[in-house]
Amino acid sequence: MTQRAPEGLYPPTEEMLAEPVAPEVAAAQERRLRAVWQTRTGLGYWSSVNNSEIGKWYSLTCFAFMLCAGVLALLMRVQLAWPGIQFLDADRFNQFFTMHGSAMMFLFAVPLFEAMAILLLPAFLGARDMPFPRLSAFGYWCFLIGGIFVLGSILFDAAPNSGWFMYPPLATEAEGPGSDIWLLGLSFIEVASIAAAVELIVGVLKCRPPGMRIHMMPLYSWYVLVVGGMILFAFPPLIAGDLLFELERALDWPFFDHTRGGDPIFWQHLFWIFGHPEVYIVFLPSIAIAAMVVPTVAQRPILGYSWIVLSAVGTGFLSFGLWVHHMFTTGLPAISLAFFSAASEAVVIPTGIQIFVFLATLMVGRVTMSLPMLWIAGGLAVFTAGGLTGVMLAIAPFDWQVHDTYFVVAHLHYTLFGGMILPVMAGVYYFYPFFTKRMLSERLGRWAFWLIFGGFNLCFLPMHLTGLLGMPRRVFSYPGDLGWNWLNLISTVGAFVIAAGFLIFTVDLLRPGKPRLASRNPWKAGTLEWTDTVEGEDWGVRSIPYVTSRYPLWDQPEIVARMDAGRYYLPDAEEGLRETIITSVIDARPVQVQRVTGDAWITLAAAAFTGGCFILPTFHLYGPAVVAGLIAVGCILYWLWTSTARVPEKPMKDVGLGLRLPTYAAGPAAVGWWAMWITMLGDATAFASIVFGFFFYWTARADFLPPGAEHAVPGLVALAAAALALAWAATLGARRLNRAGRQGQAVGAVIAGMVLAIGGGGALALSVAGLAPAAHVYPAVVCALVIWTGAHVAVGVVMQAYCLAGLVFGKIDRDHDADLWNVTLYWHFHVLTVLVTAAVIGVAPHLL
Amino acid sequence: MNRIETRDDRDELLDESATLWRITAAPVIWAGHFLLCYGGAAIWCAKLGGGIGGLRLSILGLTLAALAAIAWNGWRGLRASEGVAPPELSRPEHRHRFLGRAAFLLSVISAVGVAYVALPALFIASCR
Repeated sequence: MTQRAPEGLYPPTEEMLAEPVAPEVAAAQERRLRAVWQTRTGLGYWSSVNNSEIGKWYSLTCFAFMLCAGVLALLMRVQLAWPGIQFLDADRFNQFFTMHGSAMMFLFAVPLFEAMAILLLPAFLGARDMPFPRLSAFGYWCFLIGGIFVLGSILFDAAPNSGWFMYPPLATEAEGPGSDIWLLGLSFIEVASIAAAVELIVGVLKCRPPGMRIHMMPLYSWYVLVVGGMILFAFPPLIAGDLLFELERALDWPFFDHTRGGDPIFWQHLFWIFGHPEVYIVFLPSIAIAAMVVPTVAQRPILGYSWIVLSAVGTGFLSFGLWVHHMFTTGLPAISLAFFSAASEAVVIPTGIQIFVFLATLMVGRVTMSLPMLWIAGGLAVFTAGGLTGVMLAIAPFDWQVHDTYFVVAHLHYTLFGGMILPVMAGVYYFYPFFTKRMLSERLGRWAFWLIFGGFNLCFLPMHLTGLLGMPRRVFSYPGDLGWNWLNLISTVGAFVIAAGFLIFTVDLLRPGKPRLASRNPWKAGTLEWTDTVEGEDWGVRSIPYVTSRYPLWDQPEIVARMDAGRYYLPDAEEGLRETIITSVIDARPVQVQRVTGDAWITLAAAAFTGGCFILPTFHLYGPAVVAGLIAVGCILYWLWTSTARVPEKPMKDVGLGLRLPTYAAGPAAVGWWAMWITMLGDATAFASIVFGFFFYWTARADFLPPGAEHAVPGLVALAAAALALAWAATLGARRLNRAGRQGQAVGAVIAGMVLAIGGGGALALSVAGLAPAAHVYPAVVCALVIWTGAHVAVGVVMQAYCLAGLVFGKIDRDHDADLWNVTLYWHFHVLTVLVTAAVIGVAPHLL
Repeated sequence: MNRIETRDDRDELLDESATLWRITAAPVIWAGHFLLCYGGAAIWCAKLGGGIGGLRLSILGLTLAALAAIAWNGWRGLRASEGVAPPELSRPEHRHRFLGRAAFLLSVISAVGVAYVALPALFIASCR
């Protein structure tokens, strides 16, 4: 076996770094790098996968969706401006508030985090690109297609109209395709979110520049890490919920139907296990922008780096213990409510800590009230107000009083404007010169700020009172004698003032002729993204630096000149391949050169057909949907086969400064393995949500299990578990045999694994063939578990077939077995899924 | 001249795994305590109903156990974060101190969280 370990010198000495690079060598390197990383022009531009292009498209798309959702809000405010008017009818109003909430959350707030992180993270880390550029592109195209589909439905009067949290039975019983559009369209986008989370987590852990140990990362990276982790645990319950919901809509399986053993409260649990952490998923990355802006404005390092890390990690955890505070009026036992009330109060502590850290940093620094700082200051003020009403709402009796009134509307807009919109605007003003090399107008920016900030308070401050006076949310009109008239009119005026502010911002953002950047670091910041030249090259960084400080531009005076000269790592692209350096998780020692994927149309095709697979079922076109799904799988397999884990032309490569790194990695050393691990963690969470459903029904319903119920056939369940466990063992065996150089036996093991898996999957399906899932929730939840497990068997078999082809055609051999490692990892998780499913459907019903 | 050390991620993670565990241990204990309190109360009230004296006692015991575990964890973190004055940032000792300190701070916040979540059991005496 080839030994693949880094060789040579590390860390570099000062003498090595001080040695100049010959100008003609540097010029030739630049020529090659430019050719490799060049963004295509013309139609080919749209096949780009470079993080800067994807990031820009992603951000602009989010912004466009935000403007659409904002227009919906304006139209609603017109309808509410005066009592009893008929500007919008009730149904259209319902569609508008549903789409306003859904679009702002799913098409703006969460994706904008992904967009900005994809755009900025590689620059913060001095990396050339994200580890999986095509995955970013795939995620973006999925988002665009899904977003247009969901938002477009409003033009056909077919939009969902049951509120953005889709409570059954209202939403399950709703006529027309609205609920299906919401479920399938947004599930599609949630998948894209998870893809982005995987990409970003691996990016933070493995793509840092050499020397940037884990306690030296820019604070933004800590937030990305926490938020990525939160997405993995928050989104899957909603995806599982969407699956159950759609099974109820399409096949009448009664998960949320009270008359047949189901429970609508179960949806509320799944939705808010997602929905509350989601608020923090939106908030943390925005406050992360503040964590980047504040030190720059104060011109000093952040005060209390570890306190920020504490508050990010602490908030991330605690935010999962709050979800029931959205359900205080559902009649849960008082003691259960009280647990969530207490946790909701506790989360204020870590959230508050970070705000105090920012204030302390500003107090000891030399603050200039630059435009980004103005937005941050406005954001902190508004967020604090929203946080205080949050503390009030966390007290259950107060919530009972104002539940579903405009008080809640005011509260949530204060938290989201203060915690997300205003800090993100700060980020746009702050980072705009980085990604466009031009400055936004200071004067227009101040106008936009005061209009948005002032308009916001004009619109939402009175709403607290409107709510306390009893006006319920989501009513399309109201009688004129309840004392709400003036308050509503003021709110409407405020909404239009906000809109004027956004109009000015949009004009400034899109107008041509903005002044070009004079120097590369206009804010005199200390982090790596500002090493980018004023011309803005496509290669990201000219050479990947060796970092010894949290603020390298402040503490390592030579770093910019040396990066520009190509003195550091990977200054060249001799092989004509896009490359970046992979480093170790804790100490960021260089371990590998990763060849990243380049521009391609296949990602777009894969996204389009994945879209078809999710969108066509909305119109009950199940046949074409299956075909689209199969083509999508084909596209993804082609993409993986042709561009990932390729056998490199040479095992080691000189990366500069006397260091040689391997060009291939397998198992835990490979980024793909980490991505699989992280993906499967999310997958396991979704599965756990369905299992939770089984026990939820058992707790909540006296008629679960129903007397005399049909069960899954125990013998077949046992057979399926045994066969699938053997399939796992065969897959693991294939990996070991291949490593031992016994390719022939490895091929045999993979084939045996496939046969066993198919047989096991068949036995599992047969074991529930006699059940009638539409009759009662018990057989329905059993069948849902079988569908989930069966789909994973199918994916597992495709993966085994991929490895089989790899072994036969030489993509996988003794020295290059990354694919086998990843597939085995999948099967580790899968065999656990199988065993849990077998226990729940085969054993638990006989014990409970 | 420093030769690059040829050890892989797993060794490095093993090195720091103790501290890494300590960072997540306290919030995980909080999460476990929270889920047991919530799940325990839900099942107790759904299946047994009536008086919740036993439930409250169990929550008390659980809380004391969780607080003890967090305290031990925090103390270990504090120990790791003490020692000589901070050397330059790029030394491994500094990373070790940072991880210890983060573990300690997270233990404090988790202990507060556990205490908060236990409070309802002190005041509420029935399922309704």
